[in-house]
Amino acid sequence: MRLTLGRLLLLAAGGLVLAALVVWSGVFRIAASSGHWEITDWLLHTAMRRSVSTWSMGIEVPPLDDPALVHRGAGHFASSCAPCHGGPGTPPSAVAQRMTPHPPGLADRIDEWEPEELFWIVMHGVKFTGMPAWPAQGRDDEVWPMVAFLLELPRLDAERYRMLAFGEASGADADAIAGLGADTARQCVRCHGQDGAGRGNGAFPILTGQSEAYLLASLQAYATGARRSGFMRPMAELLSPAEMRAFARHFAEATPRAARRDDEPSTDPETLRRGEAIVTRGVPSEGIPPCASCHAADGERRYPVYPLLAGQHAGYIVDQLGAFRKGVRGGTPFAHIMATIAERLTDRQMRDAAVYLASLSPDDGLRR
Amino acid sequence: MLAGCGGVQSALQPAGQEAETVLRLFLGMLAGACVIWVAVFGTAVYAMRVSPQPHREQTAKRFIFWGGIVFPVVTLAGLLTFGIALMPELRAHGGGLRVAVSGEQWWWRVTYEPSGGEAPVVSANELRLPVGERVELMLDSPDVIHSLWIPALGGKLDMIPGRTTRLVLEPTRTGTFRGVCAEFCGESHALMAFPVVVMDRAGFDAWIEARREPARADAADAAGERLFLQAGCGGCHSVRGTEARGVIGPDLTHVGSRLSLGAGILPNDRSSLIRFIRNVEAIKPGALMPSFAMLPDAEVAAIARYLEGLE
Repeated sequence: MRLTLGRLLLLAAGGLVLAALVVWSGVFRIAASSGHWEITDWLLHTAMRRSVSTWSMGIEVPPLDDPALVHRGAGHFASSCAPCHGGPGTPPSAVAQRMTPHPPGLADRIDEWEPEELFWIVMHGVKFTGMPAWPAQGRDDEVWPMVAFLLELPRLDAERYRMLAFGEASGADADAIAGLGADTARQCVRCHGQDGAGRGNGAFPILTGQSEAYLLASLQAYATGARRSGFMRPMAELLSPAEMRAFARHFAEATPRAARRDDEPSTDPETLRRGEAIVTRGVPSEGIPPCASCHAADGERRYPVYPLLAGQHAGYIVDQLGAFRKGVRGGTPFAHIMATIAERLTDRQMRDAAVYLASLSPDDGLRR
Repeated sequence: MLAGCGGVQSALQPAGQEAETVLRLFLGMLAGACVIWVAVFGTAVYAMRVSPQPHREQTAKRFIFWGGIVFPVVTLAGLLTFGIALMPELRAHGGGLRVAVSGEQWWWRVTYEPSGGEAPVVSANELRLPVGERVELMLDSPDVIHSLWIPALGGKLDMIPGRTTRLVLEPTRTGTFRGVCAEFCGESHALMAFPVVVMDRAGFDAWIEARREPARADAADAAGERLFLQAGCGGCHSVRGTEARGVIGPDLTHVGSRLSLGAGILPNDRSSLIRFIRNVEAIKPGALMPSFAMLPDAEVAAIARYLEGLE
C-alpha cells in the first residue's frame, strides 16, 4: 500500500478519535494509589527540571549568609513545608506521602539545585504536583529566607532543626498569651518570642511596644491578604477576631525583657548621620518627609495605627520599604501613605534611615 | 459675549502698569489691523469689480513698492521700536517689596521678603500686593517649567527649574484678581491658580504683620491639632507655632484666612477642607499628598475645623 498524504491524514484523524475515546471512556486510571509508570515519572520529572532550569535563568542571588534568614525560613518551613516534605527528625505526614508524585524528602536533594532554582520553585510552585506557589507573589524578601534555610537543611540534625524552628517555645507555658489557646499561642511565640522581641536576632520584627491598634490592623490585613505575606497569612487567617485582639493586646502590653540586641546596629557614624537627617528632617527637595513626623516614639504623639520604628531591626525596615516601593506589600488602610514615600527613597536612603532607627531605643523619644 | 472679556482674570480690564501698556499696544494694533484689513479688501474689490481692466506696468510696480515694501517695513520698525522702548520699564527693578514665588506641581510657594530687613513671611497659593508700588517677583521652580500669569496685572513669565526669573508688577488699583499657570506642567496644570489681592499700603502692612504671627489655635481645636500632628501632616506642612515644620507642601499657618483652597480651585470652607483631606487624588490628580479617606469622618472633621480656625 502506497503512503499518500490523504492516507496519512486519515491515520492522524483516526489516532485523534481513538485518543478522545480513551479519555471519554474513562479507562485510564487517574488513581494516585498506583503511582506513575516509570516512563511517565521520568518524562514529568525531566520536563520539570528543564523548566525550572530555564525559567530561573537570570535570577540574581542576594547574599544569603545572614543567620537571621535561616531562622526566618525555619519557622515557616516547620509549619508549611514539613507536613508534606518532613524535616530532620520529623517524618512527613502519612497522608501527604500518598500523593502522586509523593513529596520528596528534601535534605538529600538540595545539592542537586542551584539557589536561584530553589527560589523559583518556592516562589512559583510546580504544576501537576502538590507544590503550591508562594501565597504572596512578589515578596522576594520572604522567599530568599526559605532558600537560605533550604541550603542549610542538609547539615541540620533534629535538635538544631527543632531549636531553629521552635526555639524555647516548644515548651512554652500553656498560657503564654492570655485569651489564646496554648497551641495557637505557641505558633505566635515560637517566632515572635513571648515578649514580642523575636528570637534575639533580626529574623523577626519586634512587636513589643507596638500599639494594639497597629498590631490588630496588621493581623487583619494579613488575614485578608491586604498585607501580602506568605509567612503571616497562613497564621493570621486561622485566628478568630477575638484571638486577634488577644494577640494584639498581649504584645502591645508586653514588657521587653532585658534589651536583646544581638544584631549589632551599625556604628558607622557617617551612616548614622545620614540616617538621622532623613529620619528627623527628611529630604524636602525629593518630596521625602521625615520618618519622625508619623513614627514618633512617644505613643501619645503617634496616630495609633502607625508603627513604632525606633529600635526596630534595620533589615526588617529595609525589607518592608523595598516591598512598599515595589508595590507588593499592602497593609493597613494607611499603607498607601508609606508606599508613596517609599517610591521616592533610594536603596541607600532606606538603609541609612533603617540603621539609624534601629540604633535608637524605643524610649529615646524620637523627636519630630 | 463681551461680558466674558471682563472679570478677575482679564487683560482687557487692566489693574497694573504693565497690563495697561500691553492693553494700549493691543488696542493700537487692533485699530491698525482693522485699517489694513479694510484697505486690503477695498483694493481687492476695486480691482475685481470697479476697475477690472489691466493696469499699466508702471503703476503696478509703484503700488507694489509702496504698499508691499515701504509700508510693512515702516510699520514693523515702528512696532519694534515701541516694543523695545517698553522693555526698560518692564525690566526695571522694583521699589521695595520682593516676593519669591515658586511654582510647584501644582501649587505656589509664596515668600514675602520685605525691604526693611525683617524676616521673610512664608505663605502659599495667594499673592497680596500693595497698590501703586513696584513689586519684584522672583520666580523659580523645583520640578518642571511653570509660567506665572496674572492677566490683569501684566504679562506672563516662565518659572524655570535651576534659575530665577524676575517679573516686576505695579498694580494700579485695589481689588481681587486671579493668576494662573500658563505653561503645561503635568496632569493637574489646569488646577493650578491663585487669587491675587491688591490692597492699600496700610491694609497690606496690617495683613503681613498678622501673617508674621504664629498660628493661634483656639482651645476648642486642640483635638484637631493633636490629630493633625499625630497623623503626620506636619511631615509636609508647616503650622508655625506647632511641631509641624514640613516644607514639602504648602505652609498652612494661616490657611483659614485664605481666599481659596487647593491653589485657587475650591472655596475655603470646612466642606472643601474635608473633601480635600479625604480625596486629594480626585481633586488634584497626581499631587504628592496621599488621600486620607481612611481616617474616621469625625477625625477628618476635627482636622478640618482646626485648619479652618487657623486665621
